[in-house]
Amino acid sequence: MSKAATRVGATPTKRLAEDGGASRLSSSLHSLSLRSPSKSTSTPAFADSSSDICPVCKSSRYLNPNMKFLVNPECYHKMCESCVDRIFSHGPAPCPIAGCKRTLRKAKFRNQTFEDLRVEREVDIRRRVAKILNKTEEDFDTLLNYNNYLETVETTTFNLIYKIDVEATERRLQAFAEVQRAEALSTLPASQASKIRSVSSTQQITDSKQESSTDRVVLKKSAGQRKVPSSSMSTPDPFSGAENGDVDSGFNFHGLKKRVAPEPEKPYDPYGGWSVEPQYFILQDDYDVEWLKHTKDEVKNAAGGYDMKDFYTRALCDAFSGFGVFIDEEMTARDNQASGDAVIGTQTAAAVAAGGRDVHMDDLF
Amino acid sequence: MKLTEDDLYRSSTQFKHWSFTPEQLASQRLKTNITASERVKAAVKRQRAQRLRQQDTASTSESERNGSGIENGGNTPIPMDKEVNCLTVAEEQKLVNTFCERAIDLGTFFKFPTEVIATGVQYLRRFYLYNSPMTYEPQTISRSAMFIANKTEGHHLTLEKYAAGLTKTSTEQVLAPEYLIVQALRFHFDVRHPFRGLKGGHLEMVEMAKGNAAILPTLGKSAKELQAEMQKLPRKAGGPPTNTTIKDLEKRVTEAYGHASHILKTAAILTDSYFLYTPSQTWLSAHLLADEPLTHFYISSKFPPPATSNPTYTKLLSKLRECAALLSSHRSFTSSSTSKEEKEAREKKEQAEVQQLIKKLRHCRDPDKMDLVKLNKAQKRDAAEGGQLEESKAKRRKLEREGYQKEADEFWGPELPKMENGAKAN
Repeated sequence: MSKAATRVGATPTKRLAEDGGASRLSSSLHSLSLRSPSKSTSTPAFADSSSDICPVCKSSRYLNPNMKFLVNPECYHKMCESCVDRIFSHGPAPCPIAGCKRTLRKAKFRNQTFEDLRVEREVDIRRRVAKILNKTEEDFDTLLNYNNYLETVETTTFNLIYKIDVEATERRLQAFAEVQRAEALSTLPASQASKIRSVSSTQQITDSKQESSTDRVVLKKSAGQRKVPSSSMSTPDPFSGAENGDVDSGFNFHGLKKRVAPEPEKPYDPYGGWSVEPQYFILQDDYDVEWLKHTKDEVKNAAGGYDMKDFYTRALCDAFSGFGVFIDEEMTARDNQASGDAVIGTQTAAAVAAGGRDVHMDDLF
Repeated sequence: MKLTEDDLYRSSTQFKHWSFTPEQLASQRLKTNITASERVKAAVKRQRAQRLRQQDTASTSESERNGSGIENGGNTPIPMDKEVNCLTVAEEQKLVNTFCERAIDLGTFFKFPTEVIATGVQYLRRFYLYNSPMTYEPQTISRSAMFIANKTEGHHLTLEKYAAGLTKTSTEQVLAPEYLIVQALRFHFDVRHPFRGLKGGHLEMVEMAKGNAAILPTLGKSAKELQAEMQKLPRKAGGPPTNTTIKDLEKRVTEAYGHASHILKTAAILTDSYFLYTPSQTWLSAHLLADEPLTHFYISSKFPPPATSNPTYTKLLSKLRECAALLSSHRSFTSSSTSKEEKEAREKKEQAEVQQLIKKLRHCRDPDKMDLVKLNKAQKRDAAEGGQLEESKAKRRKLEREGYQKEADEFWGPELPKMENGAKAN
């Protein structure tokens, strides 16, 4: 590697990149990667994960100990942070690694979690599949069906990881996700559903905006690269139209239970179902009394949200709270209840009921 | 799940913990008195023995005079074998009542709202249900109780202002018995007063007099019918039916309200009515004292006719009579029959009795509970002996504090340098 770097020279490469000559850069890089002694031919991108030299700018960790490598889940090509800044800070750009023609965005770059990039990619794919195929055992009527489902999930994941029939699998996944979303919307109450729908539609709009901006950016760049993103975007379209008729749900799982709409939430009741029902009075809307006129007319009372009705309710409720409570009767009844059928002396029961059921705190003082 | 007004009252702490039958109340007071006097006697005995021992060691010559000792920190020699003459329950009760009255005076002096005064007095009464004036002096307790009532009733007053208004009282003296009182109240700060209830009843009565009240459907009468009945009410119980105009009727209702309100503010809070009756019954009794026919009429409008055959009605009425008798038995209640001289003589006699009681109380105070401020301090963490902590403890405390400061500085950074004469610097 180092030999190759010295032969081509780090400085011209850098200058080229700064000029923005994407095609020349990529071609030079391509030659570089051709010359580099790669360990495996099938997946060159993941092979050199252990190396400490940026494949783009060839600067090494030896010279710059703070160097950080980032990957983009689009193609998993590793490059150093400064390269990412340099190439992608002005918007989406094609991957600088020779032979890779994917358009990358800066925002998608991240630190790699696993040292082996193949593992990193597999984890990403599994995560994505699990998000769409997210059934649990309770969703199936028999265990066999659930196991069949798991089998399908695993097959799909395997296909995506090992790039077998990727396009068809992707399409099925998308279709299934679409169906799931529609189903979730239909079971939701109308107001919530419309909210979610509007959110998703705005998301789509922003997505498409991003796409168009990508296209525009690419247009500005060299003409040779223009085709790449647009072709990858447009390929599934003709198929989906044709296949929508037969594989419209993507996957067909046997024994999948119908989704049941959750119970609509009831309005919150702070009193937990309790209410005060006056027994001895009926509240009037207004009471015409001399000494209340002043309070009623004062603007500052109304401004604070003070309602005269609150006072009326409280005053009348106070007037009759304990109207039919006869203390001596109820206290003796409570005493009897406290002593119960036990043979405890009534004296102790009286002492207990007399309000001194806690420890005699007099002794505490 | 529905709650009636009575259920609401049954859920209050006043009903649950501070309502008693008269017998319960009497037995509780007796119990408090007995424990308190036993404690006073024991404490005095102990103190005398201690004094005696000190005297023995100090001077052998004085030990010959075995019959004399020193009591209560005073230097007056008192014969050793004399038993402490403790207060009786009735005397205690009288003292508490006196200090409740003084608490009202205190409240009016500070211009506290009625609720605050009433709550403070009730705190005092509740406190002395489980404590004796022999243990804790009513004067100091009443001051603190009033201050607590200010806080619980949401009437803002600074401690400094309050203490400044009182003679020879420091802020510490106000605060010292605070926790004591709160504990004796069992942390039940809510006192249900009859004042707002009286206002509510008055509102309804005025509407009835005007003939547009909302009537309970069980009564089966229209508002106009009720008004007509009300106009025929006799002036006095058992008197001939009258024919008052609506205007006079309104005036009568308002007068009754004023009278009842006065009774509630004085007699009701100074008697045991809060312990024995519900606030609703209390205000109705006060109203009964003010205008009997009107109150009868009002209560009967709350029961399906004929009200007199309703057992609850008769029971309630007898309860109200009981309560009214209790309220009118208080000396602050003046009926028209008592003359001015009679009243003054009564007051004088009362004063003399109280003075004697206070004198007696001075001799039977619990010597352990004399200095509440000191007791309060002793209860606190690392009670300071004469204002000075132990040296090693103080040192350790200082080191700890410095350590915390250092830690904080490490974390937050040191304090910013103070700008000297900030504005002028520019």
